[in-house]
Amino acid sequence: MTASFVALEDVCKIYNQGQPNQVRALHNINLVIAANSMVCLQGASGSGKSTLLSIIGCVFPPTSGRATIAGKALSRMPDRFLTIHRRNTIGFIFQHFNILPDLTVLENITLPLMPLGIGPGARKERAERLMEMLSIGHRSNFPARQISGGELQRVAIARALINDPPIVLADEPTAHLDHTLSLAFMEIMRELQRAGKTIILTSHDPLITQHPAVERIIAIEDGEIHVP
Amino acid sequence: MMSFARQANIIDYSLSSLWRRRFKSLGVMVVFAGVIFLLASFQMTTKALTNAASDILAFAPEITIQKMKAGRQESIPLEYKEKLAVILGIRAITPRIWGYYFNETSGANYTVLGLDPFSMPLGDQLGEAIDTGALPLDHEAVLGQGVFAELAGGGDAVIFSLFRPDLSLKTFSRAGVFKAETNILTYDTLFMNLDDARDLFSLPADMATDLCVTVANPNEVQTIAKKIAALLPDTRVVTRQQIQKTYQGVFGWRSGFASICLLTALAAFIIFAWDKASGLTPEERKEISILKIIGWQTSDVLTLRFWEGVTVSTVSFVVGYTLAYVHVSFFEASLFRPVLLGWSVLHPALRLVPSVELGETLLILCLTVVPYLAATIIPAWRAAIIPADSALN
Ligand SMILES: Nc1ncnc2c1ncn2[C@@H]1O[C@H](COP(=O)(O)OP(=O)(O)OP(=O)(O)O)[C@@H](O)[C@H]1O
Ligand SMILES: [Mg+2]
Repeated sequence: MTASFVALEDVCKIYNQGQPNQVRALHNINLVIAANSMVCLQGASGSGKSTLLSIIGCVFPPTSGRATIAGKALSRMPDRFLTIHRRNTIGFIFQHFNILPDLTVLENITLPLMPLGIGPGARKERAERLMEMLSIGHRSNFPARQISGGELQRVAIARALINDPPIVLADEPTAHLDHTLSLAFMEIMRELQRAGKTIILTSHDPLITQHPAVERIIAIEDGEIHVP
Repeated sequence: MMSFARQANIIDYSLSSLWRRRFKSLGVMVVFAGVIFLLASFQMTTKALTNAASDILAFAPEITIQKMKAGRQESIPLEYKEKLAVILGIRAITPRIWGYYFNETSGANYTVLGLDPFSMPLGDQLGEAIDTGALPLDHEAVLGQGVFAELAGGGDAVIFSLFRPDLSLKTFSRAGVFKAETNILTYDTLFMNLDDARDLFSLPADMATDLCVTVANPNEVQTIAKKIAALLPDTRVVTRQQIQKTYQGVFGWRSGFASICLLTALAAFIIFAWDKASGLTPEERKEISILKIIGWQTSDVLTLRFWEGVTVSTVSFVVGYTLAYVHVSFFEASLFRPVLLGWSVLHPALRLVPSVELGETLLILCLTVVPYLAATIIPAWRAAIIPADSALN
């Protein structure tokens, strides 16, 4: 289990295949990420970091190749099961947070629990523990549009963690944060890793790539893994 | 996965998202309720009128014989009865006297109907239309609700008088009052026996207004009517079927015209609903893609839209239908009076009894709620199958 928590073999991703606007975003990716590690995907803009993270995050399967995430092969998995696997294993922190501005902080955080049939009391209880941990408890009933960028990211983190997933993904997590908030974010990631989670980040921010907690840098260039 | 708790959560979320978009939701509900209101008012009004018309028909004799002179109706001699004795299949011939009595004090026109209920077929059925009291004996009359209200002031006066043509007074005692359900027929009616009616109008003893023919076999009505017309060339012979056609003429084209207007309104509504419900704003599309990427299934998103649609249409339906009921029963369908003029001229003081029928209600439900739900769900389905990764950029 620990050896290959995420295993990609000859993974390719082609957007809009067969159409004039076809894009070859990933090409022959071979990658193994161990459980409970913290890695960072690094690369220029357009190199394919987000695409790779999406495949690891079970958002879509690869166009070809084999992707095994937390013991399940994604290839040709129907959308329905991909969704179930995603919500059981992945906590995704998006670059633009993807928080619904008209919902309260609490409602945003508990949104993934709604289709699971978890009642309001249990939802609140789970969210409160996370909000406490992330020091946003006092914002619980604020509409998300009224809180600051740093708080917004913590809401996004809390939402990613609400199902207690073994893998946490963050796409360009420090792009909208100042230095202090970026360091605080990395501390939170370090805590999560200590708690046993696998952390996968994308970034070209040296604050992340050179952070002591990051065990491994995976360089991506034009959709391929760059071996220096 | 269709667990109750999941449904409850999604309903919870759909209510709160309707509330977040409350102005849009309210706008749709106002239009929606308006359409239901129009359809239901119209349906209840025409249904009440149709019921009334079929009541009239139920009481209409199978064949009525009127004597004509110079193209106008005049009294018919009772001896004509004997001339018809040769026609087989006639069960009974009942003379009838009817006319209008103008009450100068109130300015109202009453319909006076003279019949001999004890000697006519089905005469006892008339008794069922009487609320309190019994069929009229000599010097008695049964009053319609409107006449009763005017002559007795709704109180318990028993004796009243009417003028003969020579202005001498004829006194009646009240034998009973017609039931309110028969208002369309009896509201302005004074029902008495043949001799009293003849006396009131000073008609000669051997005359009646018309003769009503009861036929043994309903299939023979046309044949017998033709035979009567041949035997009595100076009469007009009217069958119930012809009366029915006249009524259909009065109500039919008007309600047909109104239905076309309503169908146009309905079509406009469906287009409007489609536009409102399907025109997903960029925010709504964004919301759906976020829900999907954080783990909502396509079916969860559809369930969400379904409950939104159900809520909007249920509220609109209940509001629109209730308003329609109030409109028809308390405001006497005032919006439709100009359209259904034929009836309101016939019976200006008529109080409509709105009739709510399951079948018709379901029809309205299908015509409005189903297109609305389709307009909510189908576009959401298109939105819900957009790949989750569109929330990434
Ligand atoms: N949904 C899509 N449809 C078509 N092409 C896409 C789509 N998403 C990404 N691409 C293309 O695939 C390539 C890789 O994109 P990707 O977003 O993975 O790069 P990235 O390394 O994350 O870049 P950035 O640092 O700018 O976020 C780019 O050329 C991009 O234009
Ligand atoms: Mg990216």
